[in-house]
Amino acid sequence: MSEKVVNLEINGRGFQAREGMTILEVAKREGIPIPTLCHHDALEPVGACRLCMVEITHPNWRGWKGLVTACLYPVEEGLQVTTESQEIHQVRKTILDLLLARCPDAPYIQKVAAEHGVTATSFKKNEVQTVCILCGLCVRVCAVKGCNAIGTARRGIRREIAAPFGMPPPDCIGCTSCAHICPTDAIPWEDVNGVRKIWDQEFEMVRCVSCGRPIMPVTQLEFEAKRAGISPDYMTTCPACSQQKTLETIRTAFTIKRPASEDAVEAAS
Amino acid sequence: MRINSVKSLTRAAGRARGERKRLETEVLVCAGTGCLANGSMDVAEAFLGAIRRRKLEARLKLGFKTTGCHGFCEKGPLVIIQPQGIFYKGVKAKDVKEIVDQTLLKGQVIQRLLYRDPNTKQRVEQYAEIPFYSKQHRIALRNIGKIDPKCIDDCLAVGGYTGLAKALTEMKPTEVIDAVTESGLRGRGGGGFPTGRKWKTCREAEDPTKYVLCNADEGDPGAFMDRSICEGDPHAVLEGMVIGAWAVGASKGYIYVREEYPLAVKHLQAAIEQARERGFLGDDILGTGFSYDVQIARGGGAFVCGESSALMKSVAGEVGEPRAKYVHSVIRGLYDKPTVLNNVETWANVPWIITEGAAAFASLGTKKSTGTKTFSLVGKVKNTGLVEVPMGITLREIIYDIGGGIIKNRPFKGVQTGGPSGGCLPEGKLDLPVDFDTLTEAGSMMGSGGMIVMDDRTCMVDVARYFLKFLVDESCGKCVPCREGVHQLHQTVNDICAGNGRPGDLERIEALSDVVVKASLCALGKSAPNPILSTLRYFREEYEAHINDRKCPAGVCRNLFTFRISPEICNGCGLCAKSCPVDCIAGEKKEVHVIDASVCTRCGACRNVCPTDAVEVI
Amino acid sequence: MSETSIDPDRVRSILTRYPQGDGSGLIHALQDIQAEFGYVACEAVARLCEHLNIPLSKAFSVATFYKAFSLEPKGETIIRVCTGTACHIRGSQILADELSSLLDVEPGGTTKDLKFTLETVNCVGACAMAPVVAFNGVYQGNVQPGALTRKIRGGK
Ligand SMILES: Cc1cc2nc3c(=O)[nH]c(=O)nc-3n(C[C@H](O)[C@H](O)[C@H](O)COP(=O)(O)O)c2cc1C
Ligand code: FES
Repeated sequence: MSEKVVNLEINGRGFQAREGMTILEVAKREGIPIPTLCHHDALEPVGACRLCMVEITHPNWRGWKGLVTACLYPVEEGLQVTTESQEIHQVRKTILDLLLARCPDAPYIQKVAAEHGVTATSFKKNEVQTVCILCGLCVRVCAVKGCNAIGTARRGIRREIAAPFGMPPPDCIGCTSCAHICPTDAIPWEDVNGVRKIWDQEFEMVRCVSCGRPIMPVTQLEFEAKRAGISPDYMTTCPACSQQKTLETIRTAFTIKRPASEDAVEAAS
Repeated sequence: MRINSVKSLTRAAGRARGERKRLETEVLVCAGTGCLANGSMDVAEAFLGAIRRRKLEARLKLGFKTTGCHGFCEKGPLVIIQPQGIFYKGVKAKDVKEIVDQTLLKGQVIQRLLYRDPNTKQRVEQYAEIPFYSKQHRIALRNIGKIDPKCIDDCLAVGGYTGLAKALTEMKPTEVIDAVTESGLRGRGGGGFPTGRKWKTCREAEDPTKYVLCNADEGDPGAFMDRSICEGDPHAVLEGMVIGAWAVGASKGYIYVREEYPLAVKHLQAAIEQARERGFLGDDILGTGFSYDVQIARGGGAFVCGESSALMKSVAGEVGEPRAKYVHSVIRGLYDKPTVLNNVETWANVPWIITEGAAAFASLGTKKSTGTKTFSLVGKVKNTGLVEVPMGITLREIIYDIGGGIIKNRPFKGVQTGGPSGGCLPEGKLDLPVDFDTLTEAGSMMGSGGMIVMDDRTCMVDVARYFLKFLVDESCGKCVPCREGVHQLHQTVNDICAGNGRPGDLERIEALSDVVVKASLCALGKSAPNPILSTLRYFREEYEAHINDRKCPAGVCRNLFTFRISPEICNGCGLCAKSCPVDCIAGEKKEVHVIDASVCTRCGACRNVCPTDAVEVI
Repeated sequence: MSETSIDPDRVRSILTRYPQGDGSGLIHALQDIQAEFGYVACEAVARLCEHLNIPLSKAFSVATFYKAFSLEPKGETIIRVCTGTACHIRGSQILADELSSLLDVEPGGTTKDLKFTLETVNCVGACAMAPVVAFNGVYQGNVQPGALTRKIRGGK
């Protein structure tokens, strides 16, 4: 990203930002709320939900103004942004209204819609109802992980998130990142007796060497170790236990005079 | 074989022309997709057989070739005999013997095969005198129908690649851009963006790796101009692209061709290979040191891939989803490199502009829309086919003078241009000049050139429903307003057509359309409501009849009307009964016929065949 | 569904046309697979992905996004009803409905006996002869309601 600093206005107030930042990034930094559904700070924006639409204009644009997605639009010198107006509200309401027709039973969409004054859809409900809003966060997070196990299938109104050929995805490591990032909890998963189930697949879990609780699927462990270039053995302690261990290591290091307990000796070795 | 200088190009062209002059007669058979579908390959084979058997080549100094589309698809298969310019239409393989005996050997014209002007009832012998052709002005289609598109020498004989030679040896890249800018050429793919300006921005972009692409996706269902150009004169497109590549400094490019166009792919591929062989493409073009090469990328059957950013994704082997173009593709396009994308017809105009000069092009058409535009004139018009006319001509001239008016002289109702992104214009707009800005102002758009003529038996609500269905199927589904919004628009109009319209539907359609236009990610969604908004603007009463009276006045929406044979008009000819697929029409010969409405499927077959228009919609 | 088995040699010979590890060949290679086997079979796609070094999910997205690809084998006769604008206003919807009820499949579907696949296409570019129906690529123009029923019943 360039180091050049630009001046812009959001809702009449002046701000500075690095050139190339998006309107959304600047607004977030300044605590100006802009609603989003398909955005996540750790992922590339795609502009799919269109909820973040704001109005922009510029003194040099001879009065031209228009709506753009804040999550994608890069700020530039002199840009003037308005985040709330009658028109913007109408757009956001309609989008949520449309999503409610698609996902009438998704609590999260009901909540966001209600915040915008939409309590029930004014459209005919879609024939096939789901809780998936196709924001694509799951696909993007899976790609960032380096797995690319799931993707979109088909197009238009029949578009869906799917595993290839409807079979358990061969590239899935069972990490559940997709399920965790999903704003509407559309991806089911469960851990039962040391076995994880997700995407119609079962994954044997590794158990913590200290406490014996399941940590993560074997496949994920191997994948992450390989990516980090370390031996999987370094990763066989659950986060709670390894934090405990670290604490105890530190404690031992600083309290040499006190007779070491057996546990601490074990931890330090 | 390889042509390494302008001089050797001139020599090669001279040789090719000499070869042609040697011939005393030439038979041209149209082998465009339309004529092929009508059986022109059988005609061509019959000619080849006769020529071989009867040794006509030597006896008559006869040349024979199959050409690209002549445009007059309605009357195909077409056969033209040069230099006399005799134009035979609707030729069948069994007519070939007679053509050889009478016309080729005796010089006699066969009246039966000539075109008959439907208005004057006169037979017309000459190609150029047929009104369908005489009002046209061909630049992009300049060689189509005259040359064998599979033969590069044929193309050289009519001046192919002289524009390229001139650009590479006499003009600096910036001068080429200036010429294109001065010509006023605007993109023929629909948007009408000034081509010169696009090239200039790309040239000035910093990245040294650049691409020059051709959009041959032709997604408008009802348009086949680009296909005809690729099939009939592929070298014109290649020549334009090399000139463009020289102007912007690109060394690689792709032609993105629609999956449904196998013949276009074949001809383009052959042309690319020949052009490489001759030194018009590849390394060290015409011995100038400039290099540029082209590959074909075949589409996979997705309308949205005509959109520039989706097209570039598709070329890279990905799902054709558009991206937001806050940074334009001339700066960051294919593989994130500066990219020029132009339409087939745009490219085909470029060599002409270079050889004939920017001023010659700018002198045609109107001030802001210069040059010509090709249209595929289809629907309920007498002469369907491919036409190229100067910009600024009126819709009426195209439909009535060139198109010959409406089939069976029925009343004109509307004309649709711009495909799924365009709109329908009514009778009152027929005298509008056809140019980019006027059509947009009127609520339609130029589009890539599909022009669909509709008569009183076309239901405008059904037309809107048709385009919405198309767009529902073709939306990529990435953004909410297009995916869900167009789906809802379609649902509502579907309900109206099925007789389930509700008061307030039209207002709801307008409100939702407004958001779809404003909030969609790409131009597909942004323009998706156009067909419905334009029909609402000009044919609102037809929507109201559907909703309030539960009637489809045009007799298309099958739940909303019944057919009845008017006893006053019926002359008892019995054609209707013969045509009925469900046998629900009864009546004795010369007696009034009656439709059994409980069995009738309302397919309209009887109405189409009734010579007295006795089949009424009630 | 009786799936034709996928001959690995035929797949291999398609793969050799595409440089290893170059994902941009995906659409073309899938087109070749579709042409060779009549559908994009999962096994063939899996091999292709290894060859081009792309994830299976991506190939699946592409194979389901574009209309040119079918995940299932098609019928002996592919009937394509043109539903371009010109054909539509000259009544192609009636033809599609007629075939749909005659063959008892929705457009895009294949009859159970694998005899027919019914498809609709957006314009085959023979608008002058609208409405147009193509039987295995052979165009038939100016089709009247009822004609297709007679043709298919006659051929059955
Ligand atoms: C949904 C959509 C479909 C399009 N389809 C085509 C097409 O089939 N052919 C074409 O040349 N341009 C098409 N365009 C326009 C292209 O995006 C692009 O503007 C054009 O190819 C640029 O070339 P031009 O300036 O020479 O017209 C389409 C645009 C959209 C939004
Ligand atoms: S957050 Fe910007 S479009 Fe979804």
